[in-house]
Amino acid sequence: MKHVIAALAAALLLAGCGGSGEDDDDLVVFAASSLSDVAPAIDPGATVVLGGSNDLAAQIRDGADAGVFLSASERPVEELREAGLIAESTPFASNRLVIVVPAGNPSGTTTLADLNRAGMKLVLGANGVPAGDYAREALAAAGLKEALAQVVSFEDDVRGVLGKVALGEADAGIVYATDARAAGGDVRSFPLSERYQPDIRYYAALVEPPSDAAREYIGALLGRTGAEALRDAGFLPPPS
Amino acid sequence: MRRAFPLLLALSLALALAFLALPLLAIFLRVSPAELVAQLGDERAREALLVSLKTSLVAHSLILAVGTPAAYLLATRGFRGRGLVVTLLELPLVLPPAVAGLGLLAAFGRSGLLGEELSALGLEIPFTQIAVVLAICFVASPFYIRAGIAAFESIDPALPAAARTLGAAPARVFARVSLPLALGGLGAGSTLAFARGLGEFGATIMFAGSLPGRTQTAPLAIYDVLDEDLEVALALGALLVVVSIAILVGAKLLTSWARSPSPSITLSAPSGSR
Repeated sequence: MKHVIAALAAALLLAGCGGSGEDDDDLVVFAASSLSDVAPAIDPGATVVLGGSNDLAAQIRDGADAGVFLSASERPVEELREAGLIAESTPFASNRLVIVVPAGNPSGTTTLADLNRAGMKLVLGANGVPAGDYAREALAAAGLKEALAQVVSFEDDVRGVLGKVALGEADAGIVYATDARAAGGDVRSFPLSERYQPDIRYYAALVEPPSDAAREYIGALLGRTGAEALRDAGFLPPPS
Repeated sequence: MRRAFPLLLALSLALALAFLALPLLAIFLRVSPAELVAQLGDERAREALLVSLKTSLVAHSLILAVGTPAAYLLATRGFRGRGLVVTLLELPLVLPPAVAGLGLLAAFGRSGLLGEELSALGLEIPFTQIAVVLAICFVASPFYIRAGIAAFESIDPALPAAARTLGAAPARVFARVSLPLALGGLGAGSTLAFARGLGEFGATIMFAGSLPGRTQTAPLAIYDVLDEDLEVALALGALLVVVSIAILVGAKLLTSWARSPSPSITLSAPSGSR
């Protein structure tokens, strides 16, 4: 029974991946959605799948055919390592949290404390979504856990948070500095005070069984190509 | 050659059946019934089911209240542009749900078309249960209206005509003759619309967001807990499969009831117009 399911799934995956014809190396990269501008720049031939790191990890656990997994936090990588699905991993970048508000900033939000005002429509990443977990960490550090009562939606990835704010439907959200930058003029952003910034680490992981294409991709990400793409998008070097 | 064709037909059927039934079967193979019941006690699952039930029932009442007369009008009156009206009403059937969500935001969102007017009334719809209800109505009502038009059209025109000649007012003809005669078809359409509404995902997540206990319906909860707690997701999924089976069987029974001429109904029509 299991074999039948696996064979069917494999056939579907092959049919799904083989269509484009542009993939020169068949490498599939699963990347945290905050890396939307970086992951494709490392190797234009690779197929990049974006999503919440936790959702991507769940898909890899269920047998998705990813060669490289770029996670916005360590937890999803560790969980996959425990399941024997990760060969090696290394931190490659860091990021900052910012508060984003719609361009007009109707709520007049500028600080974390403002998020706790009654009637505030706050949007965060869901439980397990790294951007959401980092945001909850920051709120806890600032003694503002009760601001979670102002949350009107927990989104499945950080770009979902950004979208609700950019559309002007939510008053504020907490995202990465790089996301706010990518959204351009639709949002305004206010960096969190240094005291409350969590330790954000992006991890590049080689998925079992390791392929040469995947090794090359991670090599390029850790090399000059990666450094430039990460800097251009506003990422910081990993904390040493 | 003679035997090859029936064999091909049988093989195609077997393949379709295996492919369509396998994923549903697989859900039940991964959760035992005891586990299923236990996981449904999970707070997230319970909250999501309550939100789903509440919003579905409200949405469905609205769909029936508005959709029935609308379908009756379209079935009984010919007018210029009727084809266009029907096509517009059916459009959500084929529209990608994400587009539906975007459209709802563009119309009823805070910075949408009616945003200022709604704000003036103190109404901000996105991220509320009203948004969930509107999303369900938008994607599910076409199923009901479409079935309703067909049901009213299939009535033998001699029956309402007879009621009119006996002096029944139009509203009375509708309530006492047409509505009872169309009930089977309306019921079948109603169950399908309910099922579609219960499964709504794309438009809801865009327009209403996902907040446990408020706007997180059962399908949204499945997606949300999938990465943390597969068991809860599977249990919710299994429950939705069971509900779907019940709905489909119900719809089939209603459809066959509508098709078989029922003397009790045809008799009740003249008696009602007395």
